[in-house]
Amino acid sequence: MDTILQLLANGLMLGGLFAIVAVGLTLIFGIVKVVNFAHGEFLMVGMYLTFLVTRMLGLHPFVAVIVVVPALFLIGALTQRLIIQPLMSARDDHIQIFATVGLSTALINLALLVFGADIANTPASGLRTPIEIGPVRVLSGQIAIFVASIALVIGLQLFLQNTAMGRAIRAVAQNRSAAQLMGINVDRIYILTFGIGAACVGVAAVLIAPLYPTSPTIGTYFVLTAFVVVVLGGLGSIPGAFVGSLVIGLIDSFAGFYIGSDMREVAVFGVFLLILILRPAGLFGKQLNLSHVSP
Amino acid sequence: MTDISLAPPAPARLAGLTWRNVFALAGFLAALFVIPVVIDDDFIYHIFVTLFIFAALSTAWNIVGGFAGQLSLGHAIFYGIGAYVGIILMNMGISPWLGMFAGAAVAVVVAVAISYPCFRLRGPFFALATIAFLEVFRVLALHFRELTGGATGLMIPLKFGWEWMVFRERLPPLIIAFGMLLVCLAVAWWIRSHRIGFQLVATRERESAAKAAGVDTVKVRLIAVSVSAALTAMVGTFHAMYLTFIEPAAMFSLPFSIQIAMFALIGGIGTVFGPLLGAVLLVPISEVARGWLGAHALGLHGFVYGAVLILVVLFMPNGLMGLLSRLNKSSETSRQRQAQTITAAQAPSERPSLGDAIVKVESLEKHFGGLHVTNNVGFTLREGEILGLIGPNGAGKTTVFNMISGFLAPDSGSVSVRGADGTWHKPTTPADFAAIGVGRTFQIVQPFAAMTVEENIMVGAFHRFSDVHEAREVARETAHRMGLGPWLDAEARGLTIGGLKRLEMARVMAMKPRVLLLDEVMAGINQTDVRRAIDLTLSIRDSGVSIIAIEHVMQAVMSLSDRVIVLSSGQIIAQGKPQEVVRDPTVIEAYLGKEFVHAQA
Repeated sequence: MDTILQLLANGLMLGGLFAIVAVGLTLIFGIVKVVNFAHGEFLMVGMYLTFLVTRMLGLHPFVAVIVVVPALFLIGALTQRLIIQPLMSARDDHIQIFATVGLSTALINLALLVFGADIANTPASGLRTPIEIGPVRVLSGQIAIFVASIALVIGLQLFLQNTAMGRAIRAVAQNRSAAQLMGINVDRIYILTFGIGAACVGVAAVLIAPLYPTSPTIGTYFVLTAFVVVVLGGLGSIPGAFVGSLVIGLIDSFAGFYIGSDMREVAVFGVFLLILILRPAGLFGKQLNLSHVSP
Repeated sequence: MTDISLAPPAPARLAGLTWRNVFALAGFLAALFVIPVVIDDDFIYHIFVTLFIFAALSTAWNIVGGFAGQLSLGHAIFYGIGAYVGIILMNMGISPWLGMFAGAAVAVVVAVAISYPCFRLRGPFFALATIAFLEVFRVLALHFRELTGGATGLMIPLKFGWEWMVFRERLPPLIIAFGMLLVCLAVAWWIRSHRIGFQLVATRERESAAKAAGVDTVKVRLIAVSVSAALTAMVGTFHAMYLTFIEPAAMFSLPFSIQIAMFALIGGIGTVFGPLLGAVLLVPISEVARGWLGAHALGLHGFVYGAVLILVVLFMPNGLMGLLSRLNKSSETSRQRQAQTITAAQAPSERPSLGDAIVKVESLEKHFGGLHVTNNVGFTLREGEILGLIGPNGAGKTTVFNMISGFLAPDSGSVSVRGADGTWHKPTTPADFAAIGVGRTFQIVQPFAAMTVEENIMVGAFHRFSDVHEAREVARETAHRMGLGPWLDAEARGLTIGGLKRLEMARVMAMKPRVLLLDEVMAGINQTDVRRAIDLTLSIRDSGVSIIAIEHVMQAVMSLSDRVIVLSSGQIIAQGKPQEVVRDPTVIEAYLGKEFVHAQA
């Protein structure tokens, strides 16, 4: 019984981790309608920044938020402005895929050039301390991630529902041309959304860096699961992505224990492929989004 | 839909490459082979072997990613399968020359199994699915240690000689790699210049229009993916022999898959020789960076790749081939074609009298959610008849069309079509309908944008002919008949709306349908064009085709239709001769409202 509780706890903690990485991805996908293949590399950049700030200034990793989040907002906004925006009218989405894949390749290798292949360890700063809650043990840093992911999801949801800016963003997502006719500067909304999406992954980076060693390819490790979560949660739905994260976290945790730790990914991606093929709108997609399915 | 932008397609001229181009190509390939032999340096040899291998892989990828427009980022699956099958069999004493075919066979099975369910995914989702499959394969290769050696990898047994594809000398690997490149190029060229190539591109450009033109879109894509996977696996087997060591992380690698696709994009996606150009340009850069700068510049070549990829996408989306063909075009005067007057207005032949029923539609029903869009619709079409289908917006006309061409399955009711042999059939899919001779146009025109007018019509002609020359002849003839003669070489996306509507008709006419479904071919075109289209439709009818036409242009409805059916809110509210129907109070009410009827009364 204790084992199951422990697996449950691990799964939920992992789910929180996936959620915090996936939130920005699903936001960008839902609004800008671009699958950002460089999302994982944004995370990687954020983690390196966190590493640098803590190492060089000796600050607590969480303080790095002040630097990392604005920096990633900027990177995201620039990506949209300089790379995606000129391609928004591209008649086919291959072009956009290649653009973000190119960005991802360039960023991974830039990190390799600058930091080398060695891993960079951000100081734990007490975040790797196990905490016992009843029969289960989790790390304090994991709890921080879990709490932060919930806060981020709720915060984004409130922002999108209740602010003028949020309404403008949702309007653009619903119908770009109509929003433009209502006087919304669509290009600016896209830049802002991309920036916010990247800033979200900046928050994730700050929280993840003390727990996981940073390397140039760390982004790929997390982002593949984030893609799974985004599709599972109903494309573009932020609460959906959160629930999807928990589901995938639990699958990962239980499959790792019962099938074998090396086969966890097969279980996760197996579920992903099934969802993609059988329910392309995602488990929690409210309205059927069939834009990516042929007529 | 995927409107991929490609280099203005040379395909029309591909089958008959000009001699100048053939010589240039042969010279280029020969030079690629001769350079390393002349320089005679280990490192140069290595660069060129690697270059040939990547060019071959990229050319094979392009058959799926370019021609078929399915952006696979998991092609390393097939490469890895080829490598593993080759080495595992070699360890059992089987020559890789046989092993590569075994690898190809496994790759084809895997390719079909994973592509079939994924083909309904579009753009980024197809790419994501292929990435997920790649991850699964990598993990499986790590897991089944007895077979693959797991993370420690597999060494090839050191058996030298041609028989084992492993050599101490430098020349044989170069010859084999070059040979594989030539095979891949030849296959890609063959596909692109034959029927299947046209069908693939058509499927990529507009899947539904391709279906309507009788293309079995699933089949052609599966063929493309099988051929591509087989070639990739064979190259993989050889590369494994060349590397002498393989491990899951290197064989089933995402960056490797991306690289293969990237060369094609940079060279010119969807063109036959683009991938080769991309590889020629980039492989030496990366190998030199790796070889000379070594550990100092870890990641440098990858960074250059990524940056080049972004720049190409931004500023040169058609790749190097696009650039080349632009240069070519400016130096070459475009073919002038004589504008031919359309022959539609030729001496009116005697109109054959109406024959027996050819299409029978019985009590069709369709609901979209709570909306009853088709309510007990039934009618027959007689041979040689023009049946007008009219009704206010939202009456469900196009829905009926979609059900009598296989694009939508009715909730209940049936559609039967009399075949050429006189027996009745109940087709269900667009392919069935096309096969039995039902052709349709689309209300919203669906040209294959990146293809020329001639190629667009050829896709229809391929329904009857498998030979490119015959199809081209038919396409030209049809184009002239439809008044599209002067634009044969123009890209479809450049036509006016009137031209596009005629192109829709030309494409379906090239299929020589027995039953023609016209969905608002006259909407939004000018008076002269309407007049022309009416004459054209009459001449089509006189050639023995039975027609159902949805039309809003009343002038056309009145002068064309033998009989008119009025649809309103999914029901047939009136039918009969055009003159009678337009005076029918129920029809006036449906169009103009009750008040109008009262006011008149």
